[in-house]
Amino acid sequence: MNKIDQKINGLKKCNRIGLMTHLVLGYPNPMDSLKLAKILIDAGSDFVELQIPFSDPIADGPTIMHASEVALRNGATVTKCLELLQKITVYSPIPVLVMCYYNTVFSFGVEEFCHRMKSLNISGLIVPDIPVDEEKNEKFVHFCLKYDLYLIRVISPASSKQRLTLNAKRAKGFVYCISRFGVTGTKSTLDPTLQNYLSNVKKYFSIPIAVGFGISKKEHIDSLQNKADIAIVGSAIIDQIEKSRNYRQNYLDTVKKFIINIKH
Amino acid sequence: MKGRFGIYGGRYAPEMLIPALEELEETYIHAKKDKRFQKEFLSLLYGFSGRPTPLTFAKNLTVMLGGAKIYFKNEGLNITGAHKITHCLGQALLAKRMGKKRLIAETGAGQHGVATATVSAKFGFECTVYMGEVDVARQRSNVFWMQQLGAKVIPVSFGSRTLKDAVNAALKDWITNVKDTHYLLGSTLGPHPFPTINRDFQSIVGREVASQLNKMEGRDPDYIIACVGGGSNAMGIFSHFIKKKGVALIGVEAGGKGKRFGMHAARFNGGRVGIIEGYKSIFLQDKDGNVAPTHSISAGLDYPGIGPEVAYLKDKQRITFVSVTDREVVDAFRLLSRNEGIIPALESAHAVAHVIKLAPILAKDKIIVVNISGRGDKDIFTIADALKDKEWNEFLENKVKENKKHEQNRPKNKRT
Ligand SMILES: Cc1ncc(COP(=O)(O)O)c(C=O)c1O
Repeated sequence: MNKIDQKINGLKKCNRIGLMTHLVLGYPNPMDSLKLAKILIDAGSDFVELQIPFSDPIADGPTIMHASEVALRNGATVTKCLELLQKITVYSPIPVLVMCYYNTVFSFGVEEFCHRMKSLNISGLIVPDIPVDEEKNEKFVHFCLKYDLYLIRVISPASSKQRLTLNAKRAKGFVYCISRFGVTGTKSTLDPTLQNYLSNVKKYFSIPIAVGFGISKKEHIDSLQNKADIAIVGSAIIDQIEKSRNYRQNYLDTVKKFIINIKH
Repeated sequence: MKGRFGIYGGRYAPEMLIPALEELEETYIHAKKDKRFQKEFLSLLYGFSGRPTPLTFAKNLTVMLGGAKIYFKNEGLNITGAHKITHCLGQALLAKRMGKKRLIAETGAGQHGVATATVSAKFGFECTVYMGEVDVARQRSNVFWMQQLGAKVIPVSFGSRTLKDAVNAALKDWITNVKDTHYLLGSTLGPHPFPTINRDFQSIVGREVASQLNKMEGRDPDYIIACVGGGSNAMGIFSHFIKKKGVALIGVEAGGKGKRFGMHAARFNGGRVGIIEGYKSIFLQDKDGNVAPTHSISAGLDYPGIGPEVAYLKDKQRITFVSVTDREVVDAFRLLSRNEGIIPALESAHAVAHVIKLAPILAKDKIIVVNISGRGDKDIFTIADALKDKEWNEFLENKVKENKKHEQNRPKNKRT
């Protein structure tokens, strides 16, 4: 059984919303990103999503773009990221997912990439710029299946009926619902139409629903209780790191407190 | 509609944009069959943009180079100074059909930005243009004109701060505002259907060349030369001739400062297959697939990717590729200005730089057509720099001093 399913079953039993936290591998530097990943795991995340930095991240807003630039500048090559992933998955009792852009996969070789992810004990992949329509040419879904990786489908409020149906057919693990029209980044409030959108998504998907983009506070997560199965927190963590770096505080501590606070 | 050219092309877009791309494709399929649409498009090209653009025999250059006969297709005589207005008019009509209120665009040289701002003014769209900070600095006059036309110009400060970053910024804006916004993409690249739509709109250039040359020479050319950034001006002039095997098609890439990685924007010198900015094609990239830095004296060719159909036709050996250096481009620019009275854009001067090499080795009965995709007004700063023009520099210095003096003399409380 894929670790993602095990985790979801566990969450269902205790009837609580899961937390997936996100980091850019190699940000702010390789050593600290390893420490940060361990903190996210220890502080009570249910899943971690680790992003391989890419030069042109089109689905990301300023925060994650900046983090990606910093990581690349500080030597986060794909080889380095794989080393970090190795250490993190050995440490992690929770499912580890990898987020990246498709050119990273393609450049590595689609099958080789999937094979490597499997051998590193990665449970799922999140790749926002490879729609299922290109499967005939890319065979990405095929190789994810072959190596028991869940290729998480990403949908948005812009997704039409046809798109939801098409994605539902291929979806595995959970479906990643982008909370609003836009790229990653925090906002003070969640989109008021979110609830309608999520109930619409439920008509098409029988698997659990994860909500991401713009979630930065405990109130946001609380408001998703019973409406979604997993809340995804990304840019907000990087914002915390940037803020404490500016004040020259220990950002490892800051992140730990932030996660504990958002969770309880 | 076909979204692939061999292995290239496709629609590698995030889910947020797929419905908008599908809507654009649908709208275009209907428009293409609609006589009224075609009529309106053509009447704008002729009645507003100034088509047909002239095909001019370059008598002096032909004699000087002593080989093949050279003709220039002068797209610089379009209202906005380059070929870009053609696909902007086409896409603006599509945006109107889709009920969009706002147009966004990326621009490198500023020519596509000016053309988008122009159609926005004409048709009443709100307009935002993204432009890398590096390009804002080197094409400052076009920034000014975009603003005069009512567009908001947003300098892009991330990445390499050039054209590809402007494309990224525009894509992000589109993801955020897709409900009321059309992304008026400016070349034959990006996710399907952009490469096809822009090629179709631009293909009028090649058809005009065929009929103009037929009147003057009674036949097709032997060679056609065009510079290639994304490929819109090249596909515009090539498309009509692709099936005519006797016509050799030559694309000219930006060789920049030399062959070293990072010093040029010649995709066929070190580029490989990748998927970036929504399409599969040849890209200059590092071993991990991160986009590589590029350099070109011309902002419009300073881009790491190339249109998918162009890459396909290269593989099929239908288009041959060469590259020329910044220095050769400046020389070509001077030669054309001095001897033919045509001031070309630095992008177009790349095509001229190659004809200077090609014409002398061809027989006198051969005919070459060169696409002058735009005129060079916008490049006044770059060219003055490259030529180290002292008088122009003095003028700029005085102008700045004068402006400062005016500023100081103006009563403070009246400033708004
Ligand atoms: C005058 C001119 N020519 C050529 C280009 C390159 O684009 P494309 O290859 O799409 O024609 C540009 C782009 O900015 C341009 O302004």
